[in-house]
Amino acid sequence: MADTLELLEMIGRTASLRRAPPRELVELLRHMEATEALKAAAASGDDAPLCEELGHKPMHSPQSTQTHGYEDDGSGQDQADLPPAPEPGQPSQPG
Amino acid sequence: MTLGSHLAPLARSHIEQADVVFAALSDGIVEMWLQRMHPDVRSLQPYYREGKSRMRTYRQWVEVMMAEVRAGKTVCGVFYGHPGVFAWSPHEAIRVARAEGYEAHMEPGISAEDCLYADLGIDPGRFGCQHFEASQLLLYERRIDPAGYLVLWQVGLVGDLSLKRFATGATHRQVLVDLLSRDYPLEHELIVYRCATLPIQRPQIRRLALRDLPHVPLAAEETVVLPPAIPLQPNLAMRERLQALGEHREQPLEDAVPTR
Repeated sequence: MADTLELLEMIGRTASLRRAPPRELVELLRHMEATEALKAAAASGDDAPLCEELGHKPMHSPQSTQTHGYEDDGSGQDQADLPPAPEPGQPSQPG
Repeated sequence: MTLGSHLAPLARSHIEQADVVFAALSDGIVEMWLQRMHPDVRSLQPYYREGKSRMRTYRQWVEVMMAEVRAGKTVCGVFYGHPGVFAWSPHEAIRVARAEGYEAHMEPGISAEDCLYADLGIDPGRFGCQHFEASQLLLYERRIDPAGYLVLWQVGLVGDLSLKRFATGATHRQVLVDLLSRDYPLEHELIVYRCATLPIQRPQIRRLALRDLPHVPLAAEETVVLPPAIPLQPNLAMRERLQALGEHREQPLEDAVPTR
């Protein structure tokens, strides 16, 4: 089976793939020996099969929550809120 | 931004050449992709916690990034979309680093706003375009111009005074609708937009009436766009002034400067 992340990157940077109708994309992915999850995701536009294949990781959207113009909570440094520091080179844990 | 499509070559080079990479991304698969580019990618996501002020989280992000800078490392912070748009900590990290004598700069990225113009076919120069963070629109006296586009960010969190929640509900959104109804009819059609994060996705575009906004599911990363509700109104006084100017030969600036 081909590597799913490599195929996703290739789809993202290849004009003919990025804009291909789902049915055509799935057919191309079949020739590239994509996983069933990637083919299912390409067919539906739903990332759920990919989350299952690669490991679901719930994320907050930083750019949609990073404004603060109306908060006044002082310096805010609270060691109790600190999560364990990620280890260099180790995959991060879900929030 | 979309995986594989929107990471600029220079930004990628910064990632690859850094000693340590910090990541604040919106999608776990995108974070896995980033981990392929560098052996030391540290996610900032674990600092988020329900019930904890987001500002506290963002201050911690600045501190953990600066700790590595102070240790002599070349640090790259990778943020979803454009690192300087709706993002406090990248600006703050750069400010703090420069204040301490370190070299720091920001590379622009492709933001959700950029994708919005392309996917919705909106040219912000056509009628003008205002952008507001939705809560700020409620909490401060702002002037809405319904002759131009109005883009509202973070409507899914609107009215969260605590900054400790990741969503608010219909009652909060109804307050927003009540404010907007001063300038827009309740039947005015708005657009709920979300750009594609993965290249197998398409942008999500929903159209609904303003009055229905409190009653539809709305994620934090979705953006609300209100198209113009009224035509542009000619400014007759300014036109008359410009007309009068046009009837006289403009004196070139250099002619007006006394020569020695």
